[in-house]
Amino acid sequence: MSFLGYALVSIVGTLLRLVPWSSQTGLLEIGRPDRDSPVLLTCNFRLTVERVRRALRGVDAYLLVANSRGINVWCAATGGLLTNHDVLSVLKTSGIEDRVDHRQVILPQLAATGVEGRVLERKSGWKVVWGPVYADDIPLFLDTQLKKGAGMRQVRFPWTERLEMAASWAFPISVVLALITAVFWRHALVSAICVVWVLALVLYMSFPLYGRWLGSGFRGGAVLLAVFAVLWVAAMLVLASYAFALGYAPWGEIGRWGVLTFAVLGVMLIDLMGSTPLYKSGLHEDRILKVVLDEGKCRGVGYCEDVCPRDCYEVNRAQHSAAMPRAHQCVQCGACIVQCPFDALQFQSPRGETITPETIRKFKLNLMGKRVER
Amino acid sequence: MSMYVLMRILESAPGRYDKGLRVLTFGRLESAYDRLVSHVEQGQRVLDLGCGTGALALRSAARGARVKGIDVNSQMLEIARQKAEDAGLVDTVDFCEMGVAELDNEEADFYDVVMSGLCFSELTADELTYALEQAMRIVKPGGLLLLADEVVPGSFGKRLLKGLIRLPLAIVAYVWTQTTTHAVSDLPQKVEGVGFVLKSIRLTNLGSFMELVARKPVEDGE
Ligand SMILES: C[S@@+](CC[C@H](N)C(=O)[O-])C[C@H]1O[C@@H](n2cnc3c(N)ncnc32)[C@H](O)[C@@H]1O
Ligand code: SF4
Ligand code: SF4
Repeated sequence: MSFLGYALVSIVGTLLRLVPWSSQTGLLEIGRPDRDSPVLLTCNFRLTVERVRRALRGVDAYLLVANSRGINVWCAATGGLLTNHDVLSVLKTSGIEDRVDHRQVILPQLAATGVEGRVLERKSGWKVVWGPVYADDIPLFLDTQLKKGAGMRQVRFPWTERLEMAASWAFPISVVLALITAVFWRHALVSAICVVWVLALVLYMSFPLYGRWLGSGFRGGAVLLAVFAVLWVAAMLVLASYAFALGYAPWGEIGRWGVLTFAVLGVMLIDLMGSTPLYKSGLHEDRILKVVLDEGKCRGVGYCEDVCPRDCYEVNRAQHSAAMPRAHQCVQCGACIVQCPFDALQFQSPRGETITPETIRKFKLNLMGKRVER
Repeated sequence: MSMYVLMRILESAPGRYDKGLRVLTFGRLESAYDRLVSHVEQGQRVLDLGCGTGALALRSAARGARVKGIDVNSQMLEIARQKAEDAGLVDTVDFCEMGVAELDNEEADFYDVVMSGLCFSELTADELTYALEQAMRIVKPGGLLLLADEVVPGSFGKRLLKGLIRLPLAIVAYVWTQTTTHAVSDLPQKVEGVGFVLKSIRLTNLGSFMELVARKPVEDGE
């Protein structure tokens, strides 16, 4: 695909990031693969497919595009839309089995919340290797005999991604706002949209300033509220002083701007944490779950460490044991629990109820209520 | 995670599935399924691909067939099993969590009838081809393939009209179930392509819904 085409896909995909966008599923050849070339797999979110292809320039490989209903790997796998069946299906029906002599497929690590390596191996004979979180790391991963350092395992939230997040919130909000203001408040349409984009950009670009204090519980909520208050007051001050500078400041008008900025900030902040890969969504505070490790069952094989996007684990392969020195970073994705071959991990709620690996494998995150069995 | 809104809706989908579908199709689906299943006879072995809550599988079992229903959605299957129990059909119908991609585990020339309702339109292009090839392999010579599904209408005018009608429905269905379907194009040609012989085709709903009956030829022609 040409650069222009790629840029177009990127822009549209980013602006409409919250909306699914499917691409053709099946087998793609990257470069000139032969019978020993690596087999990689990704979801069929259009933007992801284009990014993976771009990251793989200069590599000879097969890329399998599995049916994730046009949704990115992380959301699809965690929400039950990219499952064992979808992966099995593309392995069996795409014709890849006739094209290579080996049976090893590299899956994106973030699919580990919904796709079980062991089930696939049992059902199809294909061995699953959890690749890097980011497609850009794939060439290095292939060059280093599939060694994945801590850096390749962790999710990050760099400014490029924050910019994308800002745009993917600002765009749909602007569309809705444009429709509303066009009817009720026509002369403010353009200014209102500018305000939305500025607020989104400020919110996400200043993330490093407050991001590390976010989290679950009372303190996290307080930080979120403080960010909200600061941004709202700042926005109001700027708007009000602008109005006074123009020498035109009817209170009604300022009041309306107040409501607008309040609502816009509210929408963007209500799930700010869920819009970052660093925190679990703050919307279900009732489910502050903790991963608990049963040392009696653990054999220290390290699948948990391999799939944890927050680097919570430290596995001692010599002593066949695992520990969670960085448990506070956990985003409760469940990947470690799903993949542990000895069922040594499970979730525990504050009230002491446990959620078994079996339940998590079955219901994923899409049955939120069902995760805590009542 | 920003997909939570959609997930919430998805969460309740299987429970609402039966009712939702009936409302969306105004009961026409029921009569289409009844017509298809009228080809099933007592004692036959039947396989229902993408059986969902068991609409076709249970109808066949009620006619005295031994039925296996497969689906990838475990929640749909739970409802199907419950319905089988309520209808007293647990001994003759078996529901398995299994995708069409696993049909290679089925024995060759085993089933009298392979059927599928509204499932092919949810498959990827590769899956559809694979499912048809496998159906041809596992059905007995002389056995039947029964399909009912949404298809792309033949003429341009109808396609356009259908597209206009379909759009709002597709959006509702999308919000409801988080999945889109792709009406199947050239279904009869695809069915013939893997070796079946077409017996009858019935088009309804402006040519956008197809009921298809095909037979696997007996060794030396029919
Ligand atoms: C629209 S429902 C139809 C269910 C049922 N046949 C009916 O008419 O009520 C389609 C079903 O196909 C299933 N399905 C989708 N892809 C499948 C696959 N690859 N293998 C097996 N079943 C699949 C879905 O889980 C869903 O239950
Ligand atoms: S995957 Fe399970 S058994 Fe292996 S190290 Fe982790 S907790 Fe222990
Ligand atoms: S420890 Fe937490 S963040 Fe890491 S894989 Fe397990 S659930 Fe996910």
